[in-house]
Amino acid sequence: MEIFGQLAGGFATALQPINMAMLFVAIVLGLVIGVLPGLGGTSGVAILLPISLFIKNGALPGSNEVTAIIFLAGIYWGALFGGVITSILFNIPGEPWAVVLLFDGFPLAKRLRRPGLALASSFVSSFVGALVATVLFTFFALPVAERALQFGPAELFAVFVLSFATLIGLGAEAPMKSVAMLALGLLLAAVGFDTITGEQRLNFGQVPLLSGIGFVPVTIGLFGIGEILASAEEQGIGYVEQISARLGLRDVREAFVELGKRIRLVLSNSIIGFFFGVLPGHGATAASFLGYGLARQYSKNKENFGKGEISGIMGPQSAADSAGVASLVPMITLGIPGSPTSAVMMAGLFIWGLTPGPVLFIQHQDFVWGLIASIYLGHLMTFILCLLAVPLLAMIMRVPYAIITPFIIVISIIGSYSLNNSMLDVFITVIFGLIGYWLRKLKYPLAPLVVALVLGDSTERELRKALIAGHGSPLYFFNSPLSTLLMLGALVLVLIPLVRTIRARRRGAVARPAGVAH
Amino acid sequence: MRPYQVATAAAIALIAAVAMFDSLAAFNPSAGTAPGDVGARWYPFWAAAIMGSAALIVAYRVLTTPQAVEGVFAGRTSIFSVLKLAIPMLVYATLIGGIRWRDGDINYTVIPPLGFYIATALYMGGFAWWIGRYKIWWVVLILVAFPLVIFAAFELGFRVSLPKSFLYDEGILPF
Repeated sequence: MEIFGQLAGGFATALQPINMAMLFVAIVLGLVIGVLPGLGGTSGVAILLPISLFIKNGALPGSNEVTAIIFLAGIYWGALFGGVITSILFNIPGEPWAVVLLFDGFPLAKRLRRPGLALASSFVSSFVGALVATVLFTFFALPVAERALQFGPAELFAVFVLSFATLIGLGAEAPMKSVAMLALGLLLAAVGFDTITGEQRLNFGQVPLLSGIGFVPVTIGLFGIGEILASAEEQGIGYVEQISARLGLRDVREAFVELGKRIRLVLSNSIIGFFFGVLPGHGATAASFLGYGLARQYSKNKENFGKGEISGIMGPQSAADSAGVASLVPMITLGIPGSPTSAVMMAGLFIWGLTPGPVLFIQHQDFVWGLIASIYLGHLMTFILCLLAVPLLAMIMRVPYAIITPFIIVISIIGSYSLNNSMLDVFITVIFGLIGYWLRKLKYPLAPLVVALVLGDSTERELRKALIAGHGSPLYFFNSPLSTLLMLGALVLVLIPLVRTIRARRRGAVARPAGVAH
Repeated sequence: MRPYQVATAAAIALIAAVAMFDSLAAFNPSAGTAPGDVGARWYPFWAAAIMGSAALIVAYRVLTTPQAVEGVFAGRTSIFSVLKLAIPMLVYATLIGGIRWRDGDINYTVIPPLGFYIATALYMGGFAWWIGRYKIWWVVLILVAFPLVIFAAFELGFRVSLPKSFLYDEGILPF
């Protein structure tokens, strides 16, 4: 019952006019960001992060930190929905998690001439997925946060290690590349003053580096500029296949009927997506592919997949949106980002002077419950906006490349500069944009780098606090059953890729791909 | 693909080596470090060591396992698409702050700072003219309208002060 009372308080906060207005603005921005192929939810949130600081500081009448987090989260919800529009109508994924909709969303829209049904099916299943995840979030978050309050430095360090191990063990890319990126993130986080002794390190005598390498300029570069460069290479200034963007009431009604036929699939994928999204570093993209795989696996019409099967839209969409919501759970309860986007939001919390984690949950209840209530409201608002504004959103694709691309770069540069009024940050953004583009091309994962950059300071602090408490003995990490369990879990996760390789070699399954060089 | 993968792994290993060299004091924590604490340099030293080792393993794996024959770029067109975006972006970022330095009492200026608004006008207008091949009046409209809208939104709306040009310093322009 306590939870219902707090949720009601959260709704009272979220329903304040300024919060609802900023939620609306953020969702519209998120939908636009989602529709634009060169810009993702993570980069959108990163680019607009500095604006959230002004919102938090009361630049708008009545705005505060709740307005700021509702603003950032709203961008993400909009992007989660908006990314699918271009996949279905133009065969161009607006977001990484919408790639999977190319398989069945576009064929349903084009070959079967049902774009409205494809879009409505996607929006309806996204909404159900997000709703299920938000309900789970509401009931899981408080117990987790209360348990986490009892964590000491050893347990906290073990949680960080476990989250890093998840990125290595369950990542899609080569594990050693994940390790290299993770360590690079930790190293970048260590630049500047050591927070415990005050010693300078890794600044090579450069005064501007004493304050460290800012998380925001790096993320805007890696995701904002990096994605634009990758998009320029992949799509160039090419022809965009377009089909009708009309969505009628008949489509919505039919989508609900189709949802009724697949309700078990959508609900189970939403629940699986939630637990998958809670794992650090994965978020919506991996969940969307998992959701598609599950939908196909348990379908009676496997042969229809790839030809416009509605389960191929509803399965991945429910999982992706559920995972997107779930990625905020570890951020709010434990202070660990569940996805690159939540890592950016977490950086926002740091900038506003809030520390994500269990203490935030207990001490700033209005903030946390306002956010949770805004997730319900945000998804309802996004769902309605999507149904009403698809033709308008589809028109964004007609904004010429020669205007939209430099404009995104201009906004990225404003975002990186305005946080500290620093031209160094602008150059960091540009340089990390080029680095991000190159690393992406060579299949180095960027999520471990970003997560490690955000968590680097906290990880080091907890490690050293634990070592001081244990008089320098690493055995201190195994003093409590929980930290021992977490450490062992981390070890198992790190060993997964090794075991996979050994098993594959034993089976002789390492077949030589076509067109390879020795 | 192989040479690019090896070169990238080597660059990561080199960065790691430099960081390890900077953190050699990890083995002699400074006076005043709390009992049991490992000191300020231990953590970056081992982070760099892990990074370097991982990069070397990546390079080794690339050299000893079959790799895709195709290059890192799909073709010349894709390289040019990226360069068309990357080079103007670098020029744009440079123009905002200009190129200048101070040696003792003497200031050297190669390119004066154009500030955010003038650089943005040139960048957006240049892009519309070069990539978009728009007619001149459209280019003029773009190079005037975008900086003005950004000025109204950020400078007046959010009260974010963006970098100003040398003409602002001399009192000639308001930006």
